Amino acid sequence: MKKILLFSLLAVSTLFAQVSKPIEMPYVEYPIESGDHDEIVQQYCLICHSFGYVLNQGKKSRPYWKGTVQKMVNEFKAPIGKEDQQIIVNYLVKHYGYESQPNPSGH
Amino acid sequence: MRHLNRRHFLGAGLLLGASALLGKETPSKPIAIPQEYTPPIIAFPEKKPMVAISDRPPLLKSAKGREIFTQAITPNDEFFVRWHLPDIPTHIDLNEFRLEVKGSVNTPLSLSVDDLKSKFEPTEVAAVLQCGGNSRKYYAVTGQATHGVQWDHGAMGCAIWKGVKLKDILNRAGVKESATWVGLNGLEKPAMDETPDFFREMEIAETLQDQIIVAYAMNGEDLPYLNGFPIRLVIPGHFSDSWVKMLSEIMVMDTYRKSFFMDVAYTVPDNDCECVVSGSDFEYKRKPIATMKVKSVIGYPSPDTLIKKGSRVKIAGVAFDQGKGIKEVMISLDGGKSWSAAKLGQDYGKFAFRPWSFEWEPKTKGDFTIMARAINRIGNIQPLPDEIGWNAGGYQYNAVDNVNVKIV
Repeated sequence: MKKILLFSLLAVSTLFAQVSKPIEMPYVEYPIESGDHDEIVQQYCLICHSFGYVLNQGKKSRPYWKGTVQKMVNEFKAPIGKEDQQIIVNYLVKHYGYESQPNPSGH
Repeated sequence: MRHLNRRHFLGAGLLLGASALLGKETPSKPIAIPQEYTPPIIAFPEKKPMVAISDRPPLLKSAKGREIFTQAITPNDEFFVRWHLPDIPTHIDLNEFRLEVKGSVNTPLSLSVDDLKSKFEPTEVAAVLQCGGNSRKYYAVTGQATHGVQWDHGAMGCAIWKGVKLKDILNRAGVKESATWVGLNGLEKPAMDETPDFFREMEIAETLQDQIIVAYAMNGEDLPYLNGFPIRLVIPGHFSDSWVKMLSEIMVMDTYRKSFFMDVAYTVPDNDCECVVSGSDFEYKRKPIATMKVKSVIGYPSPDTLIKKGSRVKIAGVAFDQGKGIKEVMISLDGGKSWSAAKLGQDYGKFAFRPWSFEWEPKTKGDFTIMARAINRIGNIQPLPDEIGWNAGGYQYNAVDNVNVKIV
């Protein structure tokens, strides 16, 4: 948690590093479903990107979400422990995906 | 493990740090989401309200949908936006901003925007900027849905770019004989130091092409911040992942640097068709996406438009390719059985959108499918939707576009 806090503070300092007349970026709400430890999903995913990245992909399979979380850890170096990776994958499959067969009403 | 409260994230990104200190709170009521998510339309700096696919990093497309593609030049305030990393400067002081040219050069340079404007010969090119993943949602019409944000045709635009030839900058610095690659980096930064930076690499020979410029103006104005103010790389004919925004560093190198975004992310199968069986995973040899493929998009009408029988409809759109030039755009109104040539509009150059139009006076009621198919001057033709080769990343989609309308 300490590490996360540090990242956030760094982000803030970049934002104010070159003050005189900065552009003002709006903050957009991307509501995600609650439950199944969504707080862990928020804690890690939001370090680098909004939930727009999740919501605009459509429903995805378990192997897809597992591969995506692994990409975040292996390629983008997201500091997510093994246990939390599993929680995030389960959350994404339950709320934004499907177990094996494609959802016929989805994509 | 402490909970981070959602409302604090949503209220303001800056409170992210503070919210971590607040401890556990009761989760709010679940929010129902529709089956297919519709992103909000929000005004961003120097932009009209745009469809906000993401705000951090920003991914925006015109709120006009297809209609933006009835004109050859896309206005700056409606031009699509796509960044890769979350920390983007929200202010650039032109007195301090410098483009550094370094590495294997005889004279390292540190150039202000004013230097670029006053000490080099200006040049202009009209060119299409298209995301490699543009239109990828349509892969799901005939195959498996691909990875990534499911863009419709909105991740493209065409502008008149003004700036300085990249080769003039490199010649001013004097590239050493040992140099083989040029690395190009901008000011967008990851949230964590460990995350790979977003940069591009080009072989020296490629950087010497006349049409590649470092642009400081877009459609006669400064670049909007969100399109890469104050300068960006313009590589006509190439997908936009190479067009580095807020360009701050040109590093001339003797060896290739491995790069996540070039070697892993923006890649297609390394075979002749650049395709694999639909539904395959990324377990294939890859190569970076590079030049664009011939494509046309119908700007008007939009799907499900009701058209009165006997009225005169002007079907309109744009076509483009990798820079060979569009030879012809063919229109079909009967599901591809017969094709007629559209009228080509103003020619802004071989790298630009070529606008086209087709007059239609529907004489019978019912459902019609309008299709548009472009052919370029070297005979490249768009594949039909069921002919297009599939890739897991959903890149380079260029199948024949189609729109269903109802004549009433």
